[in-house]
Amino acid sequence: MSRLLRAEWTKLRTAPGTGWLLAAVVLVTAGVGAAVAAALADPPYDVARTALAGIVAGQAVVAILAVVSVGGEYGTGMIRTTLTAMPRRGGVLAAKAVLLCGLTLAAGSVAVLGSLAAARLLLPGGEALSLADGPVLRAAAGSVLYLALAGLLSLGVAVAVRDPAVAAGTVLGLLYLPALLTFLVRDAGWQRLLYRVSPMNAGLTVQVTEPAGLPLGPWEGLAVLAVWAAGALGAGGLLLRRRDA
Amino acid sequence: MEATIEVAGLRKRFGEVPALDGMSFTVTPGRVTGFVGPNGAGKSTTMRVVLGLDAADAGTALVGGRPYRSLRTPLAHVGALLDGAAPQPGRTARHHLLWLAHSQGFAGRRVDEVLELAGLAAVARRRAGGFSLGMRQRLGIAAALLGDPPVLMLDEPFNGLDPDGIVWMRGLLRSLAAEGRAVLVSSHLMSELEDTAGHLVVAGRGRVVADTSVADLIEAASGGRVTLRTRARAEAMETLARAGATVAATGRDTLTAGGLAAERVVELLTRDGVPFAEVSAHRATLEEAYMDLTRDAVEFRGAAR
Amino acid sequence: MSGFRRLVRAEWTKFRTVRGWVLGLVAAVALTAGLGLQAAAGSHASCGMGAVEVACPAPPVGPGGEAVTDRFFFVHQRLDGDGAITARVASMTGRIRKPDERPGVTNLVPGVVPWAKAGVMVKDGTRQGAAYAAVMVTGGHGVRMQHGFTEDRAGTAASAPVWLRLVRSGDELTGFESPDGRTWAEVGTATLAGLPESVRIGLFVTSPGDLTFSQDVLGGTVAVQRFTEATAAFEQVGVRGAATGGAWSHDDVGVTVGPGGAPHHPGRHVRQGDTFTVTGTGDIAPAGDEGGMRAEQTLTGLLAGLVVVVVVAAGFAAAEYRGGLIRITLAAAPGRGRVLAAKAIVVGTVTFAAGLAAAAVTVPLGVRVLEANGNRVLPVSLLTGARVVVGSAALLALAAVLALALGALLRRGVLAVAVAVAVIVLPYFLATVSVLPLEAARWLLRLTPAAGFAVQQTVMEYPQVAGHYAPVLGYYPLPPWGGLAVLAAYAALALGLAVAALRRRDA
Repeated sequence: MSRLLRAEWTKLRTAPGTGWLLAAVVLVTAGVGAAVAAALADPPYDVARTALAGIVAGQAVVAILAVVSVGGEYGTGMIRTTLTAMPRRGGVLAAKAVLLCGLTLAAGSVAVLGSLAAARLLLPGGEALSLADGPVLRAAAGSVLYLALAGLLSLGVAVAVRDPAVAAGTVLGLLYLPALLTFLVRDAGWQRLLYRVSPMNAGLTVQVTEPAGLPLGPWEGLAVLAVWAAGALGAGGLLLRRRDA
Repeated sequence: MEATIEVAGLRKRFGEVPALDGMSFTVTPGRVTGFVGPNGAGKSTTMRVVLGLDAADAGTALVGGRPYRSLRTPLAHVGALLDGAAPQPGRTARHHLLWLAHSQGFAGRRVDEVLELAGLAAVARRRAGGFSLGMRQRLGIAAALLGDPPVLMLDEPFNGLDPDGIVWMRGLLRSLAAEGRAVLVSSHLMSELEDTAGHLVVAGRGRVVADTSVADLIEAASGGRVTLRTRARAEAMETLARAGATVAATGRDTLTAGGLAAERVVELLTRDGVPFAEVSAHRATLEEAYMDLTRDAVEFRGAAR
Repeated sequence: MSGFRRLVRAEWTKFRTVRGWVLGLVAAVALTAGLGLQAAAGSHASCGMGAVEVACPAPPVGPGGEAVTDRFFFVHQRLDGDGAITARVASMTGRIRKPDERPGVTNLVPGVVPWAKAGVMVKDGTRQGAAYAAVMVTGGHGVRMQHGFTEDRAGTAASAPVWLRLVRSGDELTGFESPDGRTWAEVGTATLAGLPESVRIGLFVTSPGDLTFSQDVLGGTVAVQRFTEATAAFEQVGVRGAATGGAWSHDDVGVTVGPGGAPHHPGRHVRQGDTFTVTGTGDIAPAGDEGGMRAEQTLTGLLAGLVVVVVVAAGFAAAEYRGGLIRITLAAAPGRGRVLAAKAIVVGTVTFAAGLAAAAVTVPLGVRVLEANGNRVLPVSLLTGARVVVGSAALLALAAVLALALGALLRRGVLAVAVAVAVIVLPYFLATVSVLPLEAARWLLRLTPAAGFAVQQTVMEYPQVAGHYAPVLGYYPLPPWGGLAVLAAYAALALGLAVAALRRRDA
């Protein structure tokens, strides 16, 4: 496994886009968070959640990072070289998942800390935000985990779908559309159902500091996203092992 | 580990189309084995099955007696150059080889050695996206040699090489075989292998049409035909036909005779006093021999006009 | 030009011979129609009458065919032919319900909401939705002349006490106001085409719900309407004309009746000579969200179709750069701008056709299904319906052209898809369901390509109606075609940049 990790790490490290995309995760997340904070005149209903609103945009960059990390290999056919050098296909996917997870956790932590710093400066009511506060810490740490899980979901989809553009469309559709439909459908029963099963709504419940009245608890919501990610990775792994390369 | 590739009874269908239909052959060390056949004969599919990339519906493919996917450091056993497995364009040649080396636990030093060997040292830090087809082939060769493997499997290695490159590739293949490695080289152009391969596996429609040494193949294809140049064509034809040969006029003063050795033709003509200028035993080129063999196995032949 | 036609034809051949792209378009149509109809089939509504569930009553429809709210307390008499009514609104008071401080104890505080209305009215009978014109004084917006539910004209900023007069002459009605009953100023004129000879004329009071906003626990904001009522004292009421001898009758127009037959929040009046004290609740206005579902809500699946179309279009452009097809393309047609234009025409046309087919089936069918399930659907005119269908197809086509241009510009399908989704879907998401304040959300829908969704809107914002004009409820800051024009501008800009890049770069 350590060889697989080392090889995949060398690959990620020497791909020209990785550094830029990681920087973009931080900039987009913190930037959108700061823009939202600056747009508000009054303290929002949920200060921590508002401060972390940039995650909604930052996850798209994480998704691209994940999709590119496998989609690029399928696009050029280099996947055949990879699987010739490392015939344990499940191991290759696991190595990619571990590294993606690590990179996203690192970039996500910086992004979340940046968002909180921006909120303390710009967001009305944001001065009091402190990681010593339990629910705020849960929202912050949960947001970092959310990004990592969104990345794993994207990785699984990208392996299953292979074409990077189709994978990007599938992942972004999977994240944003159910979340949007939850609110466009005005039927309360449908709303709660969609909220529970949509990876983004459920996952972002972890940002809510006062979760009373929600269809899901914070960690429960993140678990829903984790199930999505596990399902996508499982399906991707199965297809990777079954299919001709 | 034994340096062999053993392919036995491989079958595989892509939908309705059978790609492999009982492909079986063995590649032994110490010589270059040419793997030839027209497009669609199943050469690349066989190689992908050997490398565990594609799964066969039936049959086995072993490298050194083991299935490829059970190898722990596969690149130390088999070096492969695959058609349509380009490196990602954004990565430099050196970095491409570096991650491959890391996947096998090789030191980075080896990367510089194979870059030198493949003649890529000068462009090692350039992005592979800017490489010509020939440079990409050299990078693929470098990757195949990374693990100093006893078995090499190269799919169309001459593609995109310039004349210098072709000469280099031939020399490299010969020297690798001389070091006692098993070298399997696929090509759809026989002429590329003319002076390189000692042994040939000819494929057609997913199975082996001939598994033979180059010398035997040419012998078989030449078929004992004799070309004769003479002013007295009619008399010569009569003499030879009477001796049981199948005779055909091929020009105003040339004819060919089948079924008789050159020595016997000279003897008969001398006996009957037929003058002749030249008698030569026909020797088929490898290309001709190959065309003979694969004539029936060609999947995509140009329509006759 | 025939050269360009050949180019378009070549690009069309390129497009239709890749099975994935054609399947993508089919999938876009299927997703749009399938998700829309599925959601419609899953939306059931019924209105409770105690333990009994009954079909919800259809909303009243105004003279213009739009759904309206028409609830007020009306003290009136018959008027045949021309005439007038004059009254002095001496005072206006009211009560507003606030959140209960103690459970079970209704918390009513004194107060008048800004759009509470008291005034004089001529109406074509007491049926809800019947034509009317009225001049009134409001709680906080001065004197107004209103008619036809949607029309509103401001008078002075006066509040009670104030004199009001409404004069009927044929089908023309003119409203006046006066501070003292002697000097009159005209507020406005309304022509009620086809007003019959015999109409009702009288005094009315109504008071819309008090609107407060709060954060939805699921995200976004929710609006809460709380009960209010207004009471106005009318003095020196005088009716001139061929009336039925001053016999006043009264109606609580549009009052909801509870399961026991008792009216819910009834209005009332007290008469002492020519002084009337009238109390009413409700509104006389176009119906917003509470009037029923919007026809374009059947098109929620279009978002999924849009993402698919974006993937197809980005792929159509980016495929040129995989394996160097672009070199063959440019060898066959060296005019680089023209190549991209031909591609855009092909992609725009096929996605428009696909979108048109999807929307033309989904909207009428979806509305039918919704209504069959007991949902009220706001009526739309044929023209508006056609605009929603055609506009949605154009939205899809423009999104596709934008994605195509991004694909040519970035040369990587995955980046083009991500950027296209990020500039179209993400702002729409942020504007509709996120934590953003309403004004910031509106700016997003003015400035980003997501403005194009405005082409689907079937409801209008009225300044004279306090409402929750949020994008999530279908209210956009730009007019329908204006919003689409913003998206078109983005698509054109991206296409221009792509042409410039294609000309500058080596293929």
